[in-house]
Amino acid sequence: MTDSMNRRRFLTVLGVTGGGSLALSACGAEAPEKLIPYLIPVDDQVPGVATWYATTCRECPAGCGLHVRVREGRAVKLEGNPEHPVNGGRLCARGQAGLQGLYNPDRVRGPLAKNAGGTFEPITWDDALTRLGERLGQAPPGQVWFVTGHEAGTFDRLVNDWLAALGSNGRVVYEPFGYEALRHATRQVFGTDEFPWYDLAAARMVLSFGADFLETWVSPVEYTRAFTASHAYAAGKMGKLVQLEPRMSLTGANADEWIAVAPGTDGLVALALAHVILRDRLSAAPADAARLRPMLAEYAPRAVSPRCGVSVEVLERLAREFASQPSVAVAGGMGAQHADAHATAAAVHLLNYVAGNVGRTVVFGLAPNPAGSSSYRRLVELVHAMEAGNVAVLLVHGANPAYATPGGLGVGAALAKVPFKVSFARFLDETAMAADLVLPDHDPLEQWNDFEPKAGVYLLQQPVMQPVFDTRQTGDVLLDLARRMGDRVAARFPAASYQEHLESAWRGLHRRLGGRESFEVFWTEALKRGGVWAEPRRRGASLAPGAERLRLSPPVTPEGRFALIVYPSSTLYDGRGANRPWLQELPDPITKLSWSTWLEIHPDTADRLGIAEGDIVEVASDVGTVRAVALKYPGIRKDVVALPLGQGHTALGRYAQGRGANGYALLPAEPGAFGGVVHVTAVTVHATGAHEPLATRGGKTRQLGRGIAQAVGLAALLKEGFEPHHEQHAAPIPEKVEEVLDQWQEEQYRDWKERGNYAGAHPRWGMVIDLSRCTGCSACVTACYAENNLPVVGKELVQRGREMSWLRVERYFEGGGPDPLEFRVVPMLCQQCGNAPCEPVCPVFAAYHTPDGLNAQVYNRCVGTRYCSNNCPYKVRYFNWFDYQNAADPAFAWPEPLAWQLNPDVTVRSKGVMEKCTFCIQRIRGAQHQARMRGTPLKDGEVVTACQQSCPAEAIVFGDLNDPSSRVARLASDPRGYHVLEGLNTRPAVTYLARVWNRAEV
Amino acid sequence: MAGWLGRCATLAWVAAAGVPVLAAQQAPPSQQQAAPPFEAPEIRDTTALAGPRQPVFFRHDVHAGQYQMDCRYCHASADWAPYPGMPSMKTCMGCHLIAGAAIPEVQKVREAATANRVIEWIKVHRMPPFVHFPHMRHVKGETAVKAQITCQTCHGPVERMPQVYQFASLKMGWCLDCHKKNQVTTDCSACHY
Repeated sequence: MTDSMNRRRFLTVLGVTGGGSLALSACGAEAPEKLIPYLIPVDDQVPGVATWYATTCRECPAGCGLHVRVREGRAVKLEGNPEHPVNGGRLCARGQAGLQGLYNPDRVRGPLAKNAGGTFEPITWDDALTRLGERLGQAPPGQVWFVTGHEAGTFDRLVNDWLAALGSNGRVVYEPFGYEALRHATRQVFGTDEFPWYDLAAARMVLSFGADFLETWVSPVEYTRAFTASHAYAAGKMGKLVQLEPRMSLTGANADEWIAVAPGTDGLVALALAHVILRDRLSAAPADAARLRPMLAEYAPRAVSPRCGVSVEVLERLAREFASQPSVAVAGGMGAQHADAHATAAAVHLLNYVAGNVGRTVVFGLAPNPAGSSSYRRLVELVHAMEAGNVAVLLVHGANPAYATPGGLGVGAALAKVPFKVSFARFLDETAMAADLVLPDHDPLEQWNDFEPKAGVYLLQQPVMQPVFDTRQTGDVLLDLARRMGDRVAARFPAASYQEHLESAWRGLHRRLGGRESFEVFWTEALKRGGVWAEPRRRGASLAPGAERLRLSPPVTPEGRFALIVYPSSTLYDGRGANRPWLQELPDPITKLSWSTWLEIHPDTADRLGIAEGDIVEVASDVGTVRAVALKYPGIRKDVVALPLGQGHTALGRYAQGRGANGYALLPAEPGAFGGVVHVTAVTVHATGAHEPLATRGGKTRQLGRGIAQAVGLAALLKEGFEPHHEQHAAPIPEKVEEVLDQWQEEQYRDWKERGNYAGAHPRWGMVIDLSRCTGCSACVTACYAENNLPVVGKELVQRGREMSWLRVERYFEGGGPDPLEFRVVPMLCQQCGNAPCEPVCPVFAAYHTPDGLNAQVYNRCVGTRYCSNNCPYKVRYFNWFDYQNAADPAFAWPEPLAWQLNPDVTVRSKGVMEKCTFCIQRIRGAQHQARMRGTPLKDGEVVTACQQSCPAEAIVFGDLNDPSSRVARLASDPRGYHVLEGLNTRPAVTYLARVWNRAEV
Repeated sequence: MAGWLGRCATLAWVAAAGVPVLAAQQAPPSQQQAAPPFEAPEIRDTTALAGPRQPVFFRHDVHAGQYQMDCRYCHASADWAPYPGMPSMKTCMGCHLIAGAAIPEVQKVREAATANRVIEWIKVHRMPPFVHFPHMRHVKGETAVKAQITCQTCHGPVERMPQVYQFASLKMGWCLDCHKKNQVTTDCSACHY
């Protein structure tokens, strides 16, 4: 019944909106279209009107709040919840791609059992639960194990209680990014298991020891917001970020100073800085910091400098800068989790302590919880038990240990020794493929659940639509199984459903929080807001006994080998995002590669080894070998190479399977001293002779004087102001000629301004992008894909430069060699030129200028001459070479049910049509309709484009340039403002504000 | 199929009378037929009727003409949403739980609703692709009200149609004629995006 309802709702959309936006079935006059009504009207579903539900993102453990846009019963877009304490209305690319988990064509569509031939066949839920119930009944006590990902809340407790009712304590939590080194160090230095919280917004200087907080570390959206709040240039002031890491991550790329320390020696730098601060009494250090003096005596800058490769002067200067202003030092990035990472994190804790930051910018009491009790060491124990035949039934939920563990651990072989394995996976991942029974869980967007990402923050998840497939929530499965296990067990789980179980847990929370309203009011309000939260009291911490006994032992890479850094992918995370086509196609913010695994190697090193860009290289460690495509990357030390995680799946569906390589194969299986996976190891690299074109449209890595992404030093900006440079395009024109040209142009404008649609007052839509806020994270790109129905074209077409991304984040490098290497980004979208080169060349008037200043593209007029694209200096027009919306076309982009994600307000374009950024014209027109219906003028800020809405750094501002009081008009006249290729006289509506570097003048 | 339809006017209207009263009070901008009262004709042969044959011979001339029900009683979101909406089966049964129980076509609806099935209507008004038409702006928008645009302007005299047919071409030239006459935008991107 639910399935048919769902189908019906979908058809309703096709019927009711078919004439307009969802043109998939609108062609051909013969086939009658149907209008299928509801059986019973749904109060909150009106055709053509979006309904928004608040829920929680579960794509990583950060716990961002979502507002899900639902049209005609289908979720069509995920946006941040503006009230939310974690993400404040913003959402990263991975979070937005959660929609493609819900509608993934490779989802498990119902319960599966493996037959004698080793293949899966569908069974009924009742049959599946009976089989599992029998197995659980037969299992010897203590031989039932349950592996889950990080859960925090009611489901977490349910799993523990359920296992306890079975007489088992075999719970294993495994989160591949478990921050074990940082947790270990916190225990050692401050004697607490609590995870520290770093107040980046309050710090004027952030010193990061390999923590990639702008891309994957702990809570990237929250930390990006906090970081840009203090770091962005405003009114002559800005913060400073110094990043110490051998390979420039996205966070490092946004640092004012990137210091390429030798791998594993970052702890030495931290202790050297602490040494200087204590030696020169630069800060009001707590009294007991004196205990550290004898230990720190060994780490004078002079002694440390040769080992870490940072000069004495820089160490002394950093110490002074660090102690003289509100500051914070951060450690614990997974890519920096080398063998001595726990000691490094401890050293960074001590540096914060000595500088008096603990309790100010390093805060306890908020307890962010990115990994819960996740433990790789505990997983290793389980694997040993499996190998010894001591596991009768293994249940796996929300984890993929057969993929996301070092190859040497042998999870695959160990699984074969377990007689009965059950997976609750939504996709047939590597672990599910080894299972005997697959009981697919609901997608997080179809679930009732709760999540506590940090102290005092209780978030709710509610289903935003009917389940797409015949799946069942794992909480319900566990309760059902409990009822089958006899009265004694059943009595402990009285709830009839998981939803009821959750509600009764929240009744307890309601009592604990002591709210005066009734539970019903509390519950409804919490659902509406997305949860309940309060700011807990902040605490400091003091040194634990023995904290002064810290010893650093930086790992040494053997002569003739490279230190390999295996780092989290900012798009695919630990590999869980690899089956989302948006994330596969989204270029990595640093390398601009998509759909592949690459090895980053310094250009000099590559030349020395005779490796060209695009060569397939073999990377061999002591435990494994992988092949990857070589990429010359100037942001890496010459003795280091780096490889992202996330690819190399042998399962997980059509988008993930058989692509690139799995970096885990190279990592040692033994846990580091801190209990986690060591992400840095020694490797050899050699070319294989094979070659492939890079899957990138990154183009040149250098700007070649074109002044596309401009920047200015803080000191220079304050002293001399900012002068945009347009070396090649603003060829000197005799003054008089320019005057005459301008006059002529004004005449042209006046003429058409007085005619027809153009007469009267109109807005001029414009945008300002502040490059001192933009981090290059590319959340905006995914937002554009989601909002505007952009097709994903696949690796082969990306290699041929045919991707359809209306908004791309261009990346350039400046400097390098003896000068500091500078990373520049510029989000490049249609500039909606006032004097657009694309318009006059269109022979059919498909590209034309609207009265409100947009360069519109009328799809049904376009005949595909592509003249407009040839004439566009910004290269922001994209041509439909294939029929992406046609299931019969090899390039079909939306296999069922992926087409359900399409935005019904935006036309799905067909083959032979040119398309480009529209400034989200459907949002402009939608807001104008609302304003006209209510009879008041459109207010500034009412139209929000999709890219602007998602931006975690709030770098994008949109509005009417003709309204002098609008925010965008004020920012467009900022002294840092410039237009890209201004010399071409295109008069863009997009103004960029130059990036500002806060770095010491040399 | 053709001969069974009796004169609907002879039916007792017993549906607690809430519906026609509502329609009369609201005085919508869409359609109000002044006196004299209209009686829907008896139709013995449906083959000559224009428009696609629907799975149920639903008579707009009876509902909107003879009983003067407001269009928006069934197409409830026409004046505030882009799409007018189709009435749910429950909306039909709101009246037909009692009213017209003896009419064979009503029985089809009642049977479907009882069996939790829906009637799959054939779409009559088909707009060309790649265009957006927000109903609410044309029903309640300032200019539309001033220009006395009603549902009938585009959909024709539905309240006199035993079987609904596409009244206007819905082609761009037809849209523009009206837009020009009323001096509202003729900008392409107002509708095409």
